[in-house]
Amino acid sequence: MTNSNENKKSLKSFYWLWAILTVLGVAASLYAPGYLMPKSMSQSMHLSILTMVVFSVAAAPVAAGVYAAALYILRNWTHKGDTVPAAGPAFRESGKVVITWTLTSILLTVFLLIWGLGALAADGAGSTSNPLVVKVVGQQWVWSFEYQGANGTTIMSNDLYVPKGREVLFHVTSLDVTHGFWLPQMGIQVDANNDTTTDLRVTPNKLGTFDVRCTQFCGLNHAFMVTQGHVLTPSAFTTWLNAQPARS
Amino acid sequence: MSIDTHSHHDAHADGGHHEPPEVVDGRQRMSIWLFIAGDALTLAALVFTYLYLRGVNTSGHWMSMVGYPGPQLPGGHSWAYYSGLDSLPEPTTVVTGPLSAGLNWLGTAVTIISAGFIWAAERALRVAKNKSAFTLLAAIGTLVALAGIFISFHQLAAVPQILSVHADNTVLAFTAYGSSMIIIIGSAAVHLMLLVFLGVGLTLRSIRGAISVENWYQSRLVRMFWVWVAISAVAVSALTTTINTIH
Amino acid sequence: MTTTLEHKAPVIKHEGGGLARHQNFLTGLIGGVAGAFIAWAISHHLLAQDVRTTSDAVAVLTGCGWIVGFWFGIGALNAPFAWLIGKDQTRKDQLYYAGEDQGTKRYWKYCTDHKVVGVQYIVMTMVLLGAGGILAMAIRTELIVPGNHFVDQQVYNGFIAVHGMLMILALIVAVAGPWGNFVVPIMCGAKDMAFPRLNALSLWTLVGAAGLLLTTLAVGSLTMGWVVLAPITDQAAVGMDFFALAILVFTVSTTVAGVNTICTVFTMRTKGMTLERLPIMVWGAIIAAALGLYAFPYFSLVEALQILDRTFSTSFFIGNGGGTGWLQANLFWLMGHPEVYVILIPAVAALFEIAAVMARKPVFSYRTAVAGMVGLAGLSILVWAHHMFTTGWAPTLGGPFMVTTELISIPTGLFFLVLIGTLWRGNIWMKLPTVWMFGFIANFIIAGITGIYLSDIPIDNQLHGTMFVTAHFHYVFVGSVLFGAIAALAFWYPKVTGRFLDEKLGRISFWLAFIGVQVTFLSMFISGLRGMPRRYASYSFIFEHTNFLTTIGAYMIMAGMLVLMAAVIYCWNHGEPSGSNPWHANSLEWLVSTPPPLENFDVLPVITEDPYNFEKEMVLS
Repeated sequence: MTNSNENKKSLKSFYWLWAILTVLGVAASLYAPGYLMPKSMSQSMHLSILTMVVFSVAAAPVAAGVYAAALYILRNWTHKGDTVPAAGPAFRESGKVVITWTLTSILLTVFLLIWGLGALAADGAGSTSNPLVVKVVGQQWVWSFEYQGANGTTIMSNDLYVPKGREVLFHVTSLDVTHGFWLPQMGIQVDANNDTTTDLRVTPNKLGTFDVRCTQFCGLNHAFMVTQGHVLTPSAFTTWLNAQPARS
Repeated sequence: MSIDTHSHHDAHADGGHHEPPEVVDGRQRMSIWLFIAGDALTLAALVFTYLYLRGVNTSGHWMSMVGYPGPQLPGGHSWAYYSGLDSLPEPTTVVTGPLSAGLNWLGTAVTIISAGFIWAAERALRVAKNKSAFTLLAAIGTLVALAGIFISFHQLAAVPQILSVHADNTVLAFTAYGSSMIIIIGSAAVHLMLLVFLGVGLTLRSIRGAISVENWYQSRLVRMFWVWVAISAVAVSALTTTINTIH
Repeated sequence: MTTTLEHKAPVIKHEGGGLARHQNFLTGLIGGVAGAFIAWAISHHLLAQDVRTTSDAVAVLTGCGWIVGFWFGIGALNAPFAWLIGKDQTRKDQLYYAGEDQGTKRYWKYCTDHKVVGVQYIVMTMVLLGAGGILAMAIRTELIVPGNHFVDQQVYNGFIAVHGMLMILALIVAVAGPWGNFVVPIMCGAKDMAFPRLNALSLWTLVGAAGLLLTTLAVGSLTMGWVVLAPITDQAAVGMDFFALAILVFTVSTTVAGVNTICTVFTMRTKGMTLERLPIMVWGAIIAAALGLYAFPYFSLVEALQILDRTFSTSFFIGNGGGTGWLQANLFWLMGHPEVYVILIPAVAALFEIAAVMARKPVFSYRTAVAGMVGLAGLSILVWAHHMFTTGWAPTLGGPFMVTTELISIPTGLFFLVLIGTLWRGNIWMKLPTVWMFGFIANFIIAGITGIYLSDIPIDNQLHGTMFVTAHFHYVFVGSVLFGAIAALAFWYPKVTGRFLDEKLGRISFWLAFIGVQVTFLSMFISGLRGMPRRYASYSFIFEHTNFLTTIGAYMIMAGMLVLMAAVIYCWNHGEPSGSNPWHANSLEWLVSTPPPLENFDVLPVITEDPYNFEKEMVLS
């Protein structure tokens, strides 16, 4: 009788440890993604950062529980001394524990799935019917961008210019090997393949500069396949576009 | 440290096996099933490749390629004749057709017949207890499989080659369909070579007495694998003679 | 003393073995080099010189010459040809092949004794890990500051791919090789594995494959990542052909080993050893073996197709001819994802075993442990395209693959339940194996959680192809699998050598490695979160602090591994003697002597209970 009271009492320190580690984990989860990840310049990136926060908060008690259990075990049940330890309690099975654990992990997984699938749908929805179409061409080891100018002319640029607040539809392809077209501040990427064109949509919602980086290993200068992107006001964008020389 | 490498059993003077053949056979049969399973998974991956390549090529590229038909440059000329790339005639889209279904099924039929001989051989040994019939039937089955290898080479030679032009060179290349048929027929040929090895083994071992009416188990192991190869040949022929048009 | 007609006692000559009496690793090397040279000379002579594909064809044929020559020289081909002509092994031959009375020489030979094969796998694992580790140090030294030129850039690109390949191969065999071979047959109560000659074949074929892989470095290397995506592989030097052939050869090794393990466990368990009385380690071995049998055929097929594209101008992955790189990616990842569980499951099973023995308690919920491993293996077959979320292939399949991938967290979570449940309220013996096991627990939770991030497509759209991914899988492979493999080594080392792995040196190496892993890979997560892609030879200055930390951490891990290696080598003959059952465990491998006799048991034991009753200490009667 006293034994089980003792057990319950000593388990309290385990629960406290679990709670403290969870609080620390949640605090880190709320703060770290936004601090560490590139500054968001699109709804997609915002959603990406938010999902990181939500997943981290959900994971915090799980990780905290495992660490608390490990530390608690190390604190209370390590054998001291040089002798061979005696046998522990021959506890082989507990249906209750297994079922509780499995159900909890299923619920947690289902929650993450609902959030994830929801975020996926939100990301895909809301495509407008008049996006700005930009053709992205990757080749070893540069990016180039093609715009439709006035009167059906094609305009080429080595930097990426996009207007704020308007959806951009990227048609991404490659002239040689597979590259990865990534806009870190926009939270989107897709491979550039040489035998097909892949599509990517984003609506920039902040003015400023952003990076275009290659995430798919593409040869010798893969690390240098970087260029700049610029989000301009719609009027500044139109001015820029009209000032470009026609290519064809 | 001391190394204990002495066995604690006396060597049998007659070199007999340490365990009764039925026990060893049970183990070996399980291993044959596992190898068949692995082979079946490889076959599934091959079928996946075949169907995937057909599936992605909705505009007919499965059986066509830009270049020149056949192994020569146009007019039978050499590369030097066309000095500079500009003077090469325009490459066209070369459209090829499916490989001969008749030859395809012939190869499969030969594989089935050779499996039939091996099965008959095993029955002759295990049921009729006739070792010389076993040796003869196993030898014939092996020769039939050997014929199958020649048929595969014939099929491979018939895969159309297209001269594909690159900036620095031309290469004789194969369409996606042709490539798939090469790996499938090539795999069939390799399996047949393995079967020939096993069949020669059965024949020689029977002659030398390593296979006998009492010790017939390995004939069953070989038959199991042989029949699997025949079944997989049927599946592959069925696939490649039906789903072989551009869609 | 008599003089002339002194009758000498008859010398017992063991006449078995035949050709194998003269074959060993050296003759294997000679055969391999000779075979390679002959194949090179013939193919170089016969093939037209001005064709684009000739150098690749020559490379492939040379590699084939190497492996056939090596097999011939080491004695792997003796048995097939003896079988062919009807000449079976005598009992004397079998005993010779098993290494009877050959002393340490048998470790250099085609030896069928599973315990010898187990030790050979320990050596191979250390060789592969060591080679991969040297490349890792070169990689991190290149990345210690931005714009460094420690090595030439193309060489660096080759290093990252070969580092990846060597480490993957090393980890596939790290637990299943040494302990699946040395310990599992004894645990079942068997005299050896089901097919002893196939056992030797699997080990020596791995050696042959390693030879091809190391040659890769010398002939232009593999410069596009170990995933060898098409179509960039079309630009690769002949190193790519050696790599592809190495994989084909390696698949032979692993298939044969998998069949052997499964047949052993299902047909050679001793009387009374029901499936429920098996030590949990054995379940890990067969589940991983079965999963490997499923997965590796894809690997050999995809590399065969790469070889065909490069030597025969087929168009599997070339767009011009109707092929597509996405086919390569699908085939590769159909193998690639199950394969990481082939790597993980034996390590986890070994840790279950260690937890039970060191906590002096049964494995908590043995059935959950088995179900978890089976569930993980089964689900892993359905998740492969999460590696392809950002390729643009089949966007509609993104949701389904997200579902299957996130479901994997459920069986993975069960592993924590079993480990913690086993340790809970135990009487935990804090020895080296236990210490590394706790390290595993701490690292594996980070590995698992970061995997869940990546399984979510909106997050993957940001983090795919960044150092975040690299950090995630290094937490799996280094933080978890390697720690599990080292725990297993520390645990069974006394059974192999009769001596303990030095506790002090082991702890030093543990703390160096454990702290090193956190420093290296936590800072690497941050590099990725901040926007640094992977496989970068250099990087923007905004990533310099985290990269510097990563390199320092890597040096710490290396220091820890060097200390461990020194301990393993030194203690083999000079460590503290352990006796044959130092952990007072009850599974059969601990109940036989150290070292175990040639065929493990004089009399096969009869089993009446599982080995997790620590109230009494069992002995073999």
